[in-house]
Amino acid sequence: MADTAIPSAPTAGKEPLLRVEDLRKYFPIRQGFFGRSVTQVKAVDGVTFDVFPGETMAVVGESGCGKTTAGRCLVRAFEPTGGSILYRNLDGDEVALDALDNKSLKPVRRELRMIFQDPFSSLNPRMTVLDIIGDPLRVHSIASGSELEERVADMLLRVGLRPEYMRRYPHAFSGGQRQRIGIAKALILSPRLVVADEAVSALDVSVQAQILNLLQDLQAEFDLTYVFIAHDLSVVEYIANRVSVMYVGKMVETAATDELYHNPKHPYTEALLSAVPRPDPRERSQRIVLEGDVPDPAHPPSGCYFHPRCRYAQDVCATETPELRPIGEGHEVACHLAEDLDLRGITDLVPRD
Amino acid sequence: MSNKTHGASTDILLDIRGLKTYFHLDEGTVRAVDGVDFTVPRGTTIGIVGESGCGKSVTAFSILQLVEKPGRIEEGSIVLNTGGQNRVDIAALDHDSEELRQIRGKDIGMIFQEPMTSLSMMYTVGFQMTEAIRLHMDVEKDEARDRAIEMLQAVGIPRPEQRFDAYPFELSGGMRQRVMIAMALSCDPMLLIADEPTTALDVTTQAQILELMQQLQEEFGMAIMLITHDLGVVAEMCSEVVVMYLGEVVEQADVDTIFHNPQHPYTQALLESIPRLGHSHEGRLNPILGSVPDPYHRPSGCPFHPRCTQIITGRCETVHPDISRLDPRHTVRCLLHEESHG
Ligand SMILES: Nc1ncnc2c1ncn2[C@@H]1O[C@H](COP(=O)(O)OP(=O)(O)OP(=O)(O)O)[C@@H](O)[C@H]1O
Ligand SMILES: Nc1ncnc2c1ncn2[C@@H]1O[C@H](COP(=O)(O)OP(=O)(O)O)[C@@H](O)[C@H]1O
Ligand code: SF4
Ligand code: SF4
Ligand SMILES: [Mg+2]
Ligand SMILES: [Mg+2]
Repeated sequence: MADTAIPSAPTAGKEPLLRVEDLRKYFPIRQGFFGRSVTQVKAVDGVTFDVFPGETMAVVGESGCGKTTAGRCLVRAFEPTGGSILYRNLDGDEVALDALDNKSLKPVRRELRMIFQDPFSSLNPRMTVLDIIGDPLRVHSIASGSELEERVADMLLRVGLRPEYMRRYPHAFSGGQRQRIGIAKALILSPRLVVADEAVSALDVSVQAQILNLLQDLQAEFDLTYVFIAHDLSVVEYIANRVSVMYVGKMVETAATDELYHNPKHPYTEALLSAVPRPDPRERSQRIVLEGDVPDPAHPPSGCYFHPRCRYAQDVCATETPELRPIGEGHEVACHLAEDLDLRGITDLVPRD
Repeated sequence: MSNKTHGASTDILLDIRGLKTYFHLDEGTVRAVDGVDFTVPRGTTIGIVGESGCGKSVTAFSILQLVEKPGRIEEGSIVLNTGGQNRVDIAALDHDSEELRQIRGKDIGMIFQEPMTSLSMMYTVGFQMTEAIRLHMDVEKDEARDRAIEMLQAVGIPRPEQRFDAYPFELSGGMRQRVMIAMALSCDPMLLIADEPTTALDVTTQAQILELMQQLQEEFGMAIMLITHDLGVVAEMCSEVVVMYLGEVVEQADVDTIFHNPQHPYTQALLESIPRLGHSHEGRLNPILGSVPDPYHRPSGCPFHPRCTQIITGRCETVHPDISRLDPRHTVRCLLHEESHG
């Protein structure tokens, strides 16, 4: 296990940049006759993790499990319902983001930026590239006029686009180019932390590789920290230092990437890893096919939310909710049976050559 | 063109030759499918791969003559062999002929990239399924209902009698995709065309659907044409692979050859660009240079030449490569191979 410590090196001896504790975000939904009774969707319901400076922390999970909602809370695009988000500012002081009002948030917003899921709908079609990327500079009164143009041109070059294109509209660009525009917009304010929500999911394989390389280059160049939200586990293994797995609004496992992929401790993580199609016909894997669908967060199951689909479930799983707890160096899991299970990681699933 | 090589074999269900489908727009002509040849053997799964916009979906729509204006099949034949001497060239049929209507849904079922476009939100699952069945099979309402419920059961939908009366919006993405498959298979087609059937789904749901397709193929023996840009899905599902680039087939071979001995520079580059589970410490990803050119500015010569690392300068920019047959079931369209194989 000694070598598994390498990818987590950026965390060694550092104070976290972000500490997220028991984060919750509930949305009211109307139900019943004339929508009179109001209940809640617990989209994020107890998410806890740290993000260390310079690392890429990935959040993975199935569609609807609350990844985007959690990400939006981190940059305070959503007001959390509960829990705390502690951010260490440039002076080294911890500020509670969840408690800040809009005015005191403004300076922090420069330092925390988000890249959005869909390169097609996230850019305003009526704004030129110059206006899209330059807008944050204007909003924060950092630059205007020719200085603003220069900064946008410089940023375009860094994300691999031609500055000549800055007066064009988004529709004139391909999906990969639009994602670059989204990245340029997120980076123009020199943020410290970038939340990238499915930043490469909508892209073709070859363009995806270009954007992943770009994100890594920019991380090194600007000393960035990423929270990388994704559902593609091959991409995540490639880019992340640590990974958190979410299931129906809760964090079920967190570990260094190698540790999580080779030594998963949660049955859901094991199933996720086994389901990734391997691009090699000689490695056709033994997938663990989960029965049924992801539960509706408005009506989650009792006990461990995963129990109706878990092949290892015992009686206790239907009644008691497992807490996230440490199970090894930098490894946390929320499963009653974690110590007793012998789960398969990717090496057990893939014959190595 | 001679049919002797392989097309005449009765093992071939679908034989596509020289297919060209163009879109005539004000800005110019998009040659979405530009001379595509490939065959689908009976009962096998064939994968069609390539980057976005390379013509995978238009090829699929062409096979069913579902290309909409301003698009049109310009040239080529799509011969369906439903058994014995029973051959029909779909490309030559009138687009609203009875014969074509019978082929769609009866001989060839299709699952589309976007399930919402082919399932109406206005009607129940059961209504849509029985309509489709009665269009192709001479059965009474009750019988069609039984058949529909049987198919819903076959695709693993719990409580099929109740789901029969559900509206598509009441179902999850994975369920909807199962309904699509149930509908496409309800008339027991010989060929199922599945255009990105799992792209919009999570890996776990994808695993369910892939498992289901494999199981249904064993049960019903149909051939599957699986269109996807996910090379992992291809490696797991297909026995043969067709690689497309800018409207052309650049390589076709069995799945092991495509993944372990690819000969076209595009296939090689595509395979090198993907992150692979368990190989993340092997350094940076290796993307294909540049991007797919826009369809109005198709490069001269070999259309891949502006991105090709193995370009033969002075030739690839002007000469359009022909198909070279490296062995009976391995073809490649590249000048590097024309050199050695004439
Ligand atoms: N209705 C249309 N009008 C004009 N051009 C079209 C139309 N449909 C497709 N095309 C063009 O035809 C080419 C091939 O499109 P097609 O949809 O077959 O690509 P694809 O390989 O299926 O891509 P994807 O992986 O994104 O689904 C593209 O250049 C596309 O822009
Ligand atoms: N504005 C909203 N109102 C009500 N429910 C919402 C809202 N946004 C998200 N949800 C619900 O919260 C859950 C988590 O959503 P999301 O964070 O978008 O998931 P992910 O990004 O993991 O796919 C889903 O069930 C979703 O339908
Ligand atoms: S707590 Fe029980 S049901 Fe939940 S993951 Fe662990 S074994 Fe499975
Ligand atoms: S023909 Fe030339 S440019 Fe085209 S793929 Fe072959 S070597 Fe590359
Ligand atoms: Mg999301
Ligand atoms: Mg398509």
